[in-house]
Amino acid sequence: MKCPWLFVFTVLCMRCEAGGNKPRRGRGSMWWGIAKAGEPNNLSPISPGVLYMDPAVHATLRRKQRRLARENPGVLAAVAKGASMAVTECQHQFKYRRWNCSTRNFLRGKNLFGKIVDRGCRETAFIYAITSAGVTHAVARACAEGSIESCTCDYSHVDRAPHRSRAAAAANVRVWKWGGCSDNIGFGFRFSREFVDTGERGKTLREKMNLHNNEAGRAHVQTEMRQECKCHGMSGSCTVKTCWMRLPSFRSVGDALKDRFDGASRVMMPNTDLEVPAQSNDAVPHRVPRKDRYKFKLRPHNPDHKYPGNKDLVYLESSPGFCEKNPRLGIPGTHGRACNDTSIGVDGCDLMCCGRGYKTETIFVVERCNCTFHWCCEVKCKTCRTEKVVHTCL
Amino acid sequence: MTGTIIENLSGRKLAVLMTFLLLCQITCFLIGGLVAPTPANANSILGTVCQDTSTVKNDTTKWFYNRGRGSCKSINLEDLHQDISEADIVFAFQMPIPRDSNTLDYSRWQQNLIGVLQFEIKYHSQMEVKPRSVVTIDARLAYQNKGDPEDEWKLYTQSIEKRHLDCYIHNDEYLYNCSAIPLFELGSLYHDFYLLNVRLPVDTPDMNTNIGHLQDLWLTVIHQNGGFTMVWVSLKTVFFPCIIAILVWFWRRIHMLQRKPVLLEKMLLCLGLALCLLNMPLEYLTLHFDLPFMLLLGDIRQGVFYAMLFSFWLIFAGEHMLIQDISAQSSLKQYWRHLSAVAMGCISLFIFDMCERGVQLRNPFYSIWVTDIGTNLALTFIILAGISTGVYFLFLCYMVWQVFKNISNKRQTLPTMCSVRRLHYEGIIYRFKFLMLATLLCAALTVIGFILGQVAEGQWKWDENIEIEYTSAFFTGVYGMWNIYIFALLVLYAPSHKRWAVTENTSDTQNLSEEIEFNGIPSETSSEISSLTSYIRKVNID
Repeated sequence: MKCPWLFVFTVLCMRCEAGGNKPRRGRGSMWWGIAKAGEPNNLSPISPGVLYMDPAVHATLRRKQRRLARENPGVLAAVAKGASMAVTECQHQFKYRRWNCSTRNFLRGKNLFGKIVDRGCRETAFIYAITSAGVTHAVARACAEGSIESCTCDYSHVDRAPHRSRAAAAANVRVWKWGGCSDNIGFGFRFSREFVDTGERGKTLREKMNLHNNEAGRAHVQTEMRQECKCHGMSGSCTVKTCWMRLPSFRSVGDALKDRFDGASRVMMPNTDLEVPAQSNDAVPHRVPRKDRYKFKLRPHNPDHKYPGNKDLVYLESSPGFCEKNPRLGIPGTHGRACNDTSIGVDGCDLMCCGRGYKTETIFVVERCNCTFHWCCEVKCKTCRTEKVVHTCL
Repeated sequence: MTGTIIENLSGRKLAVLMTFLLLCQITCFLIGGLVAPTPANANSILGTVCQDTSTVKNDTTKWFYNRGRGSCKSINLEDLHQDISEADIVFAFQMPIPRDSNTLDYSRWQQNLIGVLQFEIKYHSQMEVKPRSVVTIDARLAYQNKGDPEDEWKLYTQSIEKRHLDCYIHNDEYLYNCSAIPLFELGSLYHDFYLLNVRLPVDTPDMNTNIGHLQDLWLTVIHQNGGFTMVWVSLKTVFFPCIIAILVWFWRRIHMLQRKPVLLEKMLLCLGLALCLLNMPLEYLTLHFDLPFMLLLGDIRQGVFYAMLFSFWLIFAGEHMLIQDISAQSSLKQYWRHLSAVAMGCISLFIFDMCERGVQLRNPFYSIWVTDIGTNLALTFIILAGISTGVYFLFLCYMVWQVFKNISNKRQTLPTMCSVRRLHYEGIIYRFKFLMLATLLCAALTVIGFILGQVAEGQWKWDENIEIEYTSAFFTGVYGMWNIYIFALLVLYAPSHKRWAVTENTSDTQNLSEEIEFNGIPSETSSEISSLTSYIRKVNID
């Protein structure tokens, strides 16, 4: 499938997210660049003020995102951490696939994951979901550490007033004294909606796809949380039991999203949006108010398939072949990638090298083995010399 | 001759009283469900890894925290340099966490603080973490009050503790699944801010070696909710004077009689006093004084109440058991076998509680469950208490069954009596059964509510708009229920002023003779005890 607007998109358009009116891919994705901005070669310690002042970071953010960063001191460091966590996780999950989630060198105005995100394919869906999940996770974590002081107890009834009055602050203290406060994930979730979904208005199908996948990423962080309980009743018995939710490790979120990637559903515009009279009761009104931009339902491409749930990933077009180098889509190809000659899966040499064949080398590697960890900072290992057979695609 | 109020109360009055008490019960439940928040709340705090740059490590005036003036230099455990040693690493937990750009502080209404540590250990394929390794924790707790300078923390307590770390892993996961470690329990939340500094020392070569690659340390702090305390204390404030008043009325009634109070009445008085002890709103004191023993005291107060309630049931059943030797004034000595089960259970629970929460008064980080001896000791006492409970319930069930058997036996002789008297006795038996039923109902409701609460966590929703806080409703409901139950017992088992209208029956000669006989049999002392007992004794002699 050909997307004509891709040709229009040039590097010159680097700031067009502010005033761009061309129907392009998701316009809110430039912030991914922040993942690289937090790296030590750019800045030594991540302190909120410094990160915010950095012009390279500044340029990647939309106006609303800058406002959010200004209003919530410390949040930018968390977003940066979340983004880099997402990149690492994406690369881990796709280590043995033709597309290995490689990122470009961070340059202003270019997308971190390359031009693949211009296509509405499965890989793009995963990128959107994992980055949105990363922000949710990292912000919730930062709240628990106390490094973002503007985290809220319960976001639902505050409704993000830009300037909070003293009375509201006093009311919050009262709420804390009365009913306490827990659940950092709520703020992470809503902040991620505000920050990540900026610019995705949900009007075009592509924007709907992005919104859906962003929501799916966040939903996975929420559902992967695990409950822990502690009994503290009379004499420590379970007459009184308090439970709380533990933030999942980001690996488990990545695993869950990878499963959804494998079972992602291809979707098309819902009937109602194609000016077809509403047939079902739950059809959305044609012009959705901004608040209800998440209340849409995407229709599966194959009418026999199920409607995608809120945790499913959705895509619009089939993935391009990742075998050969394709500069137009920013695909490096699988030349020189390592593969597994005994596997029949996607990491196997047959599939990975796309039938081009592979070369086999035998090398000796010196590895650490039988390690014991001595808290805090010492790992005692034996060194083992092992022979390894490495296969690389031609 | 006189009986107790329950025997003389008309059905209508009884119905009115019951309706009133039922309404009170529903109110208690609704107050908990609609007004109060959840009883307790948990906050998860991620430890900030601070670098201790000082040379003297045992300095307890030096504190590490991540917010406010003088906050520490935080480091990343992911990329550690070789020049950092384990003594340089401090996990800092500053409580409570700020919200909405406000610095929150603990309120004294929040009563207590319980800390649970959670280790997040990264999995390495080359490294093995033993499933049950011992971790040594150097924990120091400091406090600060509002108005204190931001960099001034005062030592609250410090301790070096050993804990078992239970970690396991499913295939190819990223983090180990480690069980939570209970760290501390503060019986009073007197200060505004708390700070926990955790170090993992390596003083001997085998200390903290098998814990794996620690990535994060989480602390979950649980405190009672201020709103719940307020509702709870308000309930106590209402119940306390009511019970005191009804107790005074009850005792005055008994003293107006010529005879000495019987065992059942003494037991009722004791039960009322135990309830008073439980109802006393001592929590008000914690708002002004630092009282770390409140957790222990709460346990003791509850324990005393339950012990009294259980003993009362035994004696209540026993006193209606139609014991053959009528002449003997029943006393506690007759019940020593049954009561020893209660005493045994209470004493073992008390010893266990003193070993755990009693020692925690001195060291909030202490836990009996850490050492193997402690675990065995604790388990011994808990099992003893369990066995005693089992034995107690066997006794109780046996006695209640006996009472019901006897009543049904004696009921067969009822048709031989005159109609008025028969109706009266049937009424007594009916009301006795009614009260037994009420007891069973209360106990069953408590147990069912408890099980429901365990099965369905969190909130119950019946409607989009109505949210019932089930756990709180359960607590206030059960608390109100036992108060109302004992209130009802005190009212219904108080001696009645009413005299039986004997004159109406004089026409019936058979009845007259029976009356004479009835009055003549029991010794003079028992002329005023519950007519049910006297009736039963009479029939026994028949």
